Amino acid sequence: MRLPTRRSIAWLVLVIAIILTLFPFYWMIRTAFTPAADLPTDTTGLWPHHATLINFERVLGLTSTAQNVAAGGSGATLDFLLSLRNSIIYAGLIAVAQTFFCAMAGYAFARLRFRGRDLLFGVFVMALMVPPIFTLLPNFALVKSLGWIGSFEGLIAPSVLMTPFAVFFLRQFFLSIPAEVEEAAALDGAGRLTQFWRVVLPMSRGPLFTIGLITAVWAWKDYLWPLLVGPDQNTRVLTAALGIFLEQSPNQAPDWTGLMAAAVLAVIPVALLLVVFGRRLVESLNFTGIK
Amino acid sequence: MRRNRTRLALALIALATPIAASGCASSGSGSSGPVTLTYALWDQTQEPGYQACADAFTAQNPDIKIKITQAAWGNYWQNLTTEMTAGDAPDVFTDHVAYYPQFVADHQILDISGDVSSAGIDLSAYQSGLADLWVDDGKRYGLPKDWDTEGLVYNTKSLRAAGVDPASLANLTWNPTDGGTFEKLIAELTVDDNGNNGLSPKFDKNHVKVYGFVPTYDDGSTGQNGWGDLAAENGFTFLSKPFSTDYDYGSAALAQTITWFASLSAKGYAPAYSKNSSLGVQTVLDSGQGAMTITGSFDVSSYTGSTAKQSYGFAELPVGPDGRKTFINDLSDAIWAGTSHPQQAWKWVQFLASSGCQDLVAAKGVIFPALTEATKKAEAARTAEGQNIAPFVEEAQAAGGTVTYPISSHESEISTEVQSQLDAVWLGQSGAASALKTAQTAVSGYMSQP
Amino acid sequence: MAGIGESGGAVAVEARRPRLAARDAARPRRGRGARRGDGRVAWIFLGPALIGFALFYLYPTVRGAYFSFTDYDLLSPPHSVGAANYRELWHDPLYWNALRVTLQYVVINIVSQTLLALGLAWLMFRLTRSIVVRVLLLVPWLVPNVAVGLLWLWLLDANLGLVNHLITAVGGTSQGFFSTPSLAMPTIAMINTWQYTGYTALLFYAGMLQIPASLYESARLDGAGEVRTFFRITLPLMRPILALVLVVSMIGSFQIFDTISITPTHGGPVNATRAVYYYIYQLAFTQFRMGYACAVAMTLAVILGVLTFVQMRLLRASSSDLA
Repeated sequence: MRLPTRRSIAWLVLVIAIILTLFPFYWMIRTAFTPAADLPTDTTGLWPHHATLINFERVLGLTSTAQNVAAGGSGATLDFLLSLRNSIIYAGLIAVAQTFFCAMAGYAFARLRFRGRDLLFGVFVMALMVPPIFTLLPNFALVKSLGWIGSFEGLIAPSVLMTPFAVFFLRQFFLSIPAEVEEAAALDGAGRLTQFWRVVLPMSRGPLFTIGLITAVWAWKDYLWPLLVGPDQNTRVLTAALGIFLEQSPNQAPDWTGLMAAAVLAVIPVALLLVVFGRRLVESLNFTGIK
Repeated sequence: MRRNRTRLALALIALATPIAASGCASSGSGSSGPVTLTYALWDQTQEPGYQACADAFTAQNPDIKIKITQAAWGNYWQNLTTEMTAGDAPDVFTDHVAYYPQFVADHQILDISGDVSSAGIDLSAYQSGLADLWVDDGKRYGLPKDWDTEGLVYNTKSLRAAGVDPASLANLTWNPTDGGTFEKLIAELTVDDNGNNGLSPKFDKNHVKVYGFVPTYDDGSTGQNGWGDLAAENGFTFLSKPFSTDYDYGSAALAQTITWFASLSAKGYAPAYSKNSSLGVQTVLDSGQGAMTITGSFDVSSYTGSTAKQSYGFAELPVGPDGRKTFINDLSDAIWAGTSHPQQAWKWVQFLASSGCQDLVAAKGVIFPALTEATKKAEAARTAEGQNIAPFVEEAQAAGGTVTYPISSHESEISTEVQSQLDAVWLGQSGAASALKTAQTAVSGYMSQP
Repeated sequence: MAGIGESGGAVAVEARRPRLAARDAARPRRGRGARRGDGRVAWIFLGPALIGFALFYLYPTVRGAYFSFTDYDLLSPPHSVGAANYRELWHDPLYWNALRVTLQYVVINIVSQTLLALGLAWLMFRLTRSIVVRVLLLVPWLVPNVAVGLLWLWLLDANLGLVNHLITAVGGTSQGFFSTPSLAMPTIAMINTWQYTGYTALLFYAGMLQIPASLYESARLDGAGEVRTFFRITLPLMRPILALVLVVSMIGSFQIFDTISITPTHGGPVNATRAVYYYIYQLAFTQFRMGYACAVAMTLAVILGVLTFVQMRLLRASSSDLA
């Protein structure tokens, strides 16, 4: 495959793919800097003729209501920092706790011997096939009857302890590491918990990080559950805040510039995450490939 | 190992305790001390008026604060029902005549008849006919808040360019067969890229620059902003009386109206349904691409306000075979059944329905509050702002000229069903008669359920 | 990643060995074979996960199944109605419509996404191991679905959107992507393809990395071209990954909701986007028909279970040829 033409065509295709992936985000940013009044006329061109920060200002609540409406909004604002905080709490709590608990469970299924172990594991795996919508409604009813609607407890409850996928994945991983290290520790008098805590866990940083990261991303993007359970300001996560902001459109037409500004704000944390963790994130996906 | 186990167990208990404790603490808040009520509305142009009411109310009742939330019309009801399901609905919310029966059936709003009679509220102070709309089975679920009617709004420049005298709009006629002088006007106002209007033999309906009429296609099951009023003028009745179940969407009078309405885009006088995706009707008019539409009196202020980009005039609806008819709509404020502050909520509702609030709202010049005195004040305020609301008021006062919204349960299912079927008609996929018959079958099904 | 921990542990083990040997010499060995059951400690390990499973998977599933036989509306106590909900959904045109449009979505989404991702992965594998490329392709996956939906709602807008401007600039007619029944669902499917192709490509890429380079060497020596190498070596050896990704993507695909919920037509036009998940949501949260919604959800669970089972079978049947 040393033919230059074929290689350059292949590169061209790859570059086109990258452009297609990123251009919409560029357009989103461009629209966010366009004044609302210019939208029907200033439709093409890589940068708006009258670039302005007003959309960001009004989305962040830095303008008065009158200015907000005059600039094309409905008076609605996106409490960005608060929702960001809530999203971080939500994703962070779930990622850390769930990974830890599922590691314990995965280890138990992989290493411990007890009656009914494989049967129990089979049941856990079957839960993989239960679609979330099915548990959504009764979970909602349960959280409601516990009085946890509008609290972080309610938000994290269904996911903080386990997901079948994480248990499955981690069990597969623990099965794949050789048992000698633990056996040696066992001979040394270490009990199961010590083996797990002192020996196995430190060795498993990679897959643990992978699962943690994937869980965090999933929780970060979660929309319906946080919207249902935590619509109040204190527990409103970024995705829900974006959805609610969208609902508060002015009567006549969607507030496109405001929406794009809000969307840009919602994407900034992701961009930062990529800059800081991009390499690890991408490499951790390599690991999920190994089964 | 035992030490590890104990440590772990303690850790788990420590983790669980705050969760359990806060779970217990979060339920049941006392109702003494300052209270904040949430109040929901959908029209952001009305928000300043109600904020003024809220401020006045809190001045009189320092212990009660009002927090106003707004969700646009397209999302308002879904939002509300979701919040009700979550047990987290606003204490008081703006209610609509077509939606409240379902809330009654689902026990979501409070009966205020006892409070109304003990407060001695004079129901005759409201615009006639409105107060009775909120009574079901002897119980009252709201007090009249404001009313609105429908009328024509047109671009004055387009009208002048077409050489039409604005005064002639008062005598427009309409019928479903040839559209009457109304369709003629629409055709005159439609201009293609070459400057030919819709009546010219050279009119190119594929290259239209200005549409004579911009219809509201997603108008639910009543078509308040267009086809519903015309259907009423064609003799169609939605329901014989409130809470009856005798819908007849399959009626010929309605089918003719829908067929005519859909024909406008086929003739090139109106934009096609599929192009109407995101922009509201007013935006199309504002951009100069549309010359006229049917609008509610609640929207007049946005056509005459500072954000409008064209100059507009208003007129009454055309006269149909059965005369001139417009929907008269009414809103009220409902108290959610799950509120933890019913007494405070009633105080707020009472204030909203009183002149203390309705006068403030009237002064903002956006809508017509329901109290007749407040209506007069609103008319004065709106005229002073340059809004020509005379056509809307005259329609409301004309004898037999108004039609109320059909009031029945299952509104949301009916709305979804009828809208879907009408979508097919607007898209040219189905004839009006068969689509409406399909809709009626489904509607009869809903009506036969409790 | 795993490297540092492992060698650290190994060192610690090495250090302990001499001590161990000495101790063993000093006293009789307890039979290593006679391992006590780990029953009691297993409870600690499994505790949280078991609680989570029981409370938020088992209990809701059972309760959901129960609700599906009632007229529950979340506001008043449920009353049993026997199989009435199931009878109703059998005759409910909206239900079948929901299944149909969901299937349409799944097919378009999964096929396009898988093909594009395979192609992209192959390109990356053969051209560059650059981290930058992979990070860039991952961006859409990390962005919340709501933001992605909004973005495309704007780009594809019938009046002001960029895409329609480009279309009319080359002489076409502007399309109502979300308001034309035949276009609405495919549009939503392609939006999701756009969002997930990069992520899927990275997963496939990881699978390709596992194939021993020696196989490619021998293929090249035999004179196999790009295409033949891909179809004869890469693809077959990736079968487990492919199958796993397909299963997981398909299950996720069936649950399309976020994008539909922000389109202005709320399931329209003419029910063209009223997918199963969205229909369930509407039944439960706008019409208060929780019992009926649970019945529909039950059927969805069964359908997914069957599909998963079938695909898992294929997965097992094609266990890795690498081993």
